[in-house]
Amino acid sequence: MISEWLSSIRLRLRALAKSRQLDRDLQDEMAFHLAMRERKLHEHGADAEEARYAANRAFGNVVRIREKTRTLWTFRWLEELAQDMRYAGRSLRHSPALASVVVLSLALGIGANTAIFSLMDAVMLRLLPVQHPEQLVRVERQFAKAGAPITGSFTNPLWEALRDRQNVFSGVFAWGSSFFDLAQGGEVQNANGIFVSGDYFSTLGIQPAAGRLLNATDDRRGCAPLAVLSYGFWESHFGTAANVLGQTITLNRHPFQIIGVSAPGFYGVDVGTKFDIAVPVCSATIFDGQRSRIDQRSWWWLSIIGRVKPGLTPGQVKSGLAAISPAVMRAALPQDWPSKEQEHFLQIQLATVPAATGTSFLRNSFAEPLNILMAIVALVLLIACANIASLMLARATARNKELAIRKALGASRWRLIRQLLTESVLLSILGALLGLLLARWGSALLVRDLSAGRRIVSLDLSLDSRVMGFTAAVAIFTGILVGLLPALRSTGVSLTEAMKGSNVVSEEGRARFRAGKWIVASQIALCLVLLIGGGLLLRSFVKLTTLDLGFDRSNVLLVRTNFKTVKIPAAQQEATYDEIGRRLRALPGVVSESRSIMSPISSFVWNSILHADSNMAPTGDEAVAYFNFITPDYFATMRSPLLRGRNFTEGDTKDSPPVAVVNEALARKFYPGMDALGRHFRVDPEPGQPTPLVEIVGIVKDAKYQSPREDTYPTAFFPITQMPPDPGLGRTYELRTAMPPMSLASTVQNTVAGVSKEIPLEFETLSAQVDDSLVQERLLAKLSGFFGALALLLAMIGLYGVLSYLVTQRQTEFGIRMALGAQPHSILRLVMRDLVTILGIGVAAGIGIALATVTLLQKMLFGLAPRDAETIVIAVCLLSVLAIIAGAIPARRAARVDPMVAIRYE
Amino acid sequence: MSKSDEKDELLQGTLDLLVLKTLARRSRHGYDIAESIQQNSGDVLQVEEGALYPALHRLELRGLLASEWGLSENNRRAKYYRLTAAGRKQLAKETEYWSRISAAIGRVLQAT
Repeated sequence: MISEWLSSIRLRLRALAKSRQLDRDLQDEMAFHLAMRERKLHEHGADAEEARYAANRAFGNVVRIREKTRTLWTFRWLEELAQDMRYAGRSLRHSPALASVVVLSLALGIGANTAIFSLMDAVMLRLLPVQHPEQLVRVERQFAKAGAPITGSFTNPLWEALRDRQNVFSGVFAWGSSFFDLAQGGEVQNANGIFVSGDYFSTLGIQPAAGRLLNATDDRRGCAPLAVLSYGFWESHFGTAANVLGQTITLNRHPFQIIGVSAPGFYGVDVGTKFDIAVPVCSATIFDGQRSRIDQRSWWWLSIIGRVKPGLTPGQVKSGLAAISPAVMRAALPQDWPSKEQEHFLQIQLATVPAATGTSFLRNSFAEPLNILMAIVALVLLIACANIASLMLARATARNKELAIRKALGASRWRLIRQLLTESVLLSILGALLGLLLARWGSALLVRDLSAGRRIVSLDLSLDSRVMGFTAAVAIFTGILVGLLPALRSTGVSLTEAMKGSNVVSEEGRARFRAGKWIVASQIALCLVLLIGGGLLLRSFVKLTTLDLGFDRSNVLLVRTNFKTVKIPAAQQEATYDEIGRRLRALPGVVSESRSIMSPISSFVWNSILHADSNMAPTGDEAVAYFNFITPDYFATMRSPLLRGRNFTEGDTKDSPPVAVVNEALARKFYPGMDALGRHFRVDPEPGQPTPLVEIVGIVKDAKYQSPREDTYPTAFFPITQMPPDPGLGRTYELRTAMPPMSLASTVQNTVAGVSKEIPLEFETLSAQVDDSLVQERLLAKLSGFFGALALLLAMIGLYGVLSYLVTQRQTEFGIRMALGAQPHSILRLVMRDLVTILGIGVAAGIGIALATVTLLQKMLFGLAPRDAETIVIAVCLLSVLAIIAGAIPARRAARVDPMVAIRYE
Repeated sequence: MSKSDEKDELLQGTLDLLVLKTLARRSRHGYDIAESIQQNSGDVLQVEEGALYPALHRLELRGLLASEWGLSENNRRAKYYRLTAAGRKQLAKETEYWSRISAAIGRVLQAT
């Protein structure tokens, strides 16, 4: 069957190429037949003329048969399509205004859909640009306990144990990401770094663009500091200069030799982050010094991806990994863990998940916002479609006569519908093309909104077949959606009615108006759903941004620094920090200065279990509290009022009794119903370290610790002088300023350089840091606000259009009514009654749909129930007021109809 | 299209079979095919000559027939059709089907 079909296509294509030859052959073939028949008849005694007639009679209508045979050889539907396209193009040129309105609104609708989809595609669906990505799997740790979390992070000892024991992968590698400071001191210049194990590039099948890539021999304990650049970094920092090979680059002040550049287009396996510099895993020792993460058994910094050996089934991979799991865990068991924890650790199973699309932090945080946005833009497109459908409906009326003539000439209804659909699909394809342009611009803009702080998101947004296919499908779907109803209606018109071509309010006209009414009512319903959803997201965001965080975020400059890479003896470090603090405090424009190991709403967390001297205190995992170490001015700088007790003073030193200031949440949790002031607690001991008894000397107002969305964490503040020694930790200076905080950055840099030029500095404002924690919420609020407004505009245009049409249709009727004595306001009432009916139906349906669907937003909302009555009321009022304004314009026109003009119009 | 199409469709199956059978031995041109069918049926089956050509071309498009231009017995340019391998297979299949059906119809008719 298929071979028959293929042979027919091949023959037809050949005939298409030689269509004139085909015509002549057909003519010859049939002429030959007639000649033969004629000769035979002649031989049997007929005279020449009689024989010719008889031959023709026997054959039938030669021309018709030839035509019929000829059409067998052509692609008829294709030719008709070409015909329809030409015709559609012509009729669109005749009404350029309408065509451009339609194309533009479709471009907006389709463009928005394509933009969001291409973002989804880039984040979740795109395969890694490496060899055979489908063979890649990520290795994870699965806890024996049911429902326990599955995680993909590993320690280096675990990775080494796995690497040496596994037999299911043809290649396997580990990597961990990090930021490398390229500067020699002063303001930090961050580059995206990755630590990669020896087989990273070879397993992925990446070729060098210059020099060579890291291999297994480069990744041995005590390795040389070697680095591979990404192509993009090579381009942006070295202009693809060939002499970069052999040069050194300083990463956190450590010199690394550049040995090569990876292939263009390869950005690593973390979707959303492009790596700049890759260094071997073993080189972590160079950064870490004594307590290197290479040998740390509780430092979870690596991820693992393997390439499954050809021919292995997922089941075999699973059992292969399960078989080595106990040995791997035993080999990397953290010796200093309590025995119960160790027991859990030994039961961990290794498992795999597909990794053809790589890994991405964006998938967790943006999967849901993207789904919501996809639904929002789909609604916007539907509303735009409804608008266009009613425009096309009105246009179809104007074309009734033309369609009737074509019908009278023998065109079938199906043929006419096809013609009209070709027109609307052509429009939507034009819209889609323009939409693709808009989408490219829009999605690039959106990616910028995904970035927060130093986590710059970069995504591969190049058009791929999936995005193109999606856009094409949307274009054709909308084309048919927009064109079908008008096509069905206008081709169903009776011939006589249409030929009369009158503007009489006939049954037809009324029917069409009914259709228009339904379209607008559904538009209003969809619009209301969008407004309610958008309103909820917007109000949540406003609530989050205006929330009392417990500190004053405005006018605070955060200056982060770290002495890890600076040659200052450990004993003098604290004094150096103090000295910097003193100089910063003296700067003009600085109101107050404090120092802590972290600022609020940063990604940094320090927590531990507390043992409080209270019999009401929670125990075990429930007894977690969050810590910060601060100088005495911290509360004043953050404007977090101390409620009771005392602040830290100069007298709280390393040698004085340990003290803490706790927030209300901690006091409530650990000392319910009692006075926490003066009480004592111990921090869960780190192995080998004594933990002193700490006295609570003050209670401070609650402030958010990690996120504005959190239920304020129970927090304990300790004097920075009493911090356990840890050379790895940095410090953050908080400067409350009397001027825009960022304008102080260069002065601060100069001041710190006066102490030491080597000290690295990172600047951020506290308010920007808080904003960065609300990326998803802001994205959703911004876009749903924008699309809500767009939808509202579209729906109002639709309403205006349909009412205008109604008024024109009923002009004569209004004229007669007025001639018979109707007052303008009663005409006004007639029109407004229609408006209110449409609005009422739309609003009722919209509220219904909204109530049924808004619960999907639950997770994204803050401080609001999904079915928040206030939001619904606001949305309904906004929509109704605007609808009445949009409707009042045509209504007033109706009321001003001059009866004489209206009647004479006939 | 017009109604006559439907009649053609009805006859097509039979006509196709007859054409294929006629071409089983050697290649022929259209007129020859029409004559041959008429003669071999003892003048019972009159091929509607006009319907013959769309049928021939349809079979050619399906790859069951191949064609080439040659000279006729009286030295005129004529299009000759012959069976392809696929056509031979189709002929065997349809012949088998046809005899089974006609035998079945025969049995039904004799049953009373």
